[in-house]
Amino acid sequence: MIVFVSGGARSGKSEVAERLARDCQRAHGGALYYLATAMASDVEMAARIARHRRDRGSEWCTREVPLALGEALDGIEPGSCVLLDCLTLWASRARFEAGYHSAAGLAQFEALLVAARTRPLDLVVVSNDLNEAALPQDAATRDYVAFLQRLHRTLAREAERVVEVVAGVAIDWKSPHA
Amino acid sequence: MQLFIGGACAGKCDAVSERFPAARWHRLEAGTRLPDWRETVVAEVPLVVTGWADWIEMALSDEPDDDRLREQLVAALEALVAVERERGTTVIVILPEMGRGIVPMAARLRRLRDLAGWLAQDVAELADAVEYVRHGLVKSLK
Repeated sequence: MIVFVSGGARSGKSEVAERLARDCQRAHGGALYYLATAMASDVEMAARIARHRRDRGSEWCTREVPLALGEALDGIEPGSCVLLDCLTLWASRARFEAGYHSAAGLAQFEALLVAARTRPLDLVVVSNDLNEAALPQDAATRDYVAFLQRLHRTLAREAERVVEVVAGVAIDWKSPHA
Repeated sequence: MQLFIGGACAGKCDAVSERFPAARWHRLEAGTRLPDWRETVVAEVPLVVTGWADWIEMALSDEPDDDRLREQLVAALEALVAVERERGTTVIVILPEMGRGIVPMAARLRRLRDLAGWLAQDVAELADAVEYVRHGLVKSLK
């Protein structure tokens, strides 16, 4: 199963996503993987990562997400549950560090979804909702938001479950039980 | 009248195209007067009106008063509702949600954000249906 969890900053989306990942893992057995996109670029970021890691507990196997996102599930055994947190950061690294074009980035992301289906394993993807603000009008920001939204629309279409998180509360937009 | 609202690149146009495949589309031209809808509307053919934010952005320079600008927009909406009734058609308004971030540094962008928010409220008030588009999915709010 593929699950998409998104919301604003500090909306509690990571906690909701972790709970959903644990539910998947409890239902199917298998290992719990945490694919981290955040890199400690300064002290505040390092503290943020340490806090997340502490909150998650020790049952998670943590890995860093490669820029080649399509390879992120390589070596992870079938039946595992994988949490990717968060897609927004990967998207900005893909655009601004690796210089991926929109189509190349989308292809990497689609390869990740195909890998999750064929392995098979459960994949929970966390991302930020950034597109409902008065956006800065420079071309780079607009291109980035357009790219991120292509990923989000693809994910929402492919996922069995789509969840919006507001103040820690999960609102279902798409559910296998609906 | 129906409102489709959502963030940038949320999939609003795709959602409207899917729901109203036979509709005519009218994009508001920045820097022009709001059109006389009587001439634009074809009887019994749904009309989609987009480009509101671009229109507002250009109008900010010509009209320094936010209340008067809002009144112009409300008058255009009321004309749309009247034409809808007279010609037996449905008008679909597409609007961007842009009110959920931090307050923009640029005064112009703050005005645009305010006017877009008021317009959304005014359209929603007049509309029979309001659809919220998020990452390509659609939720009915009204």
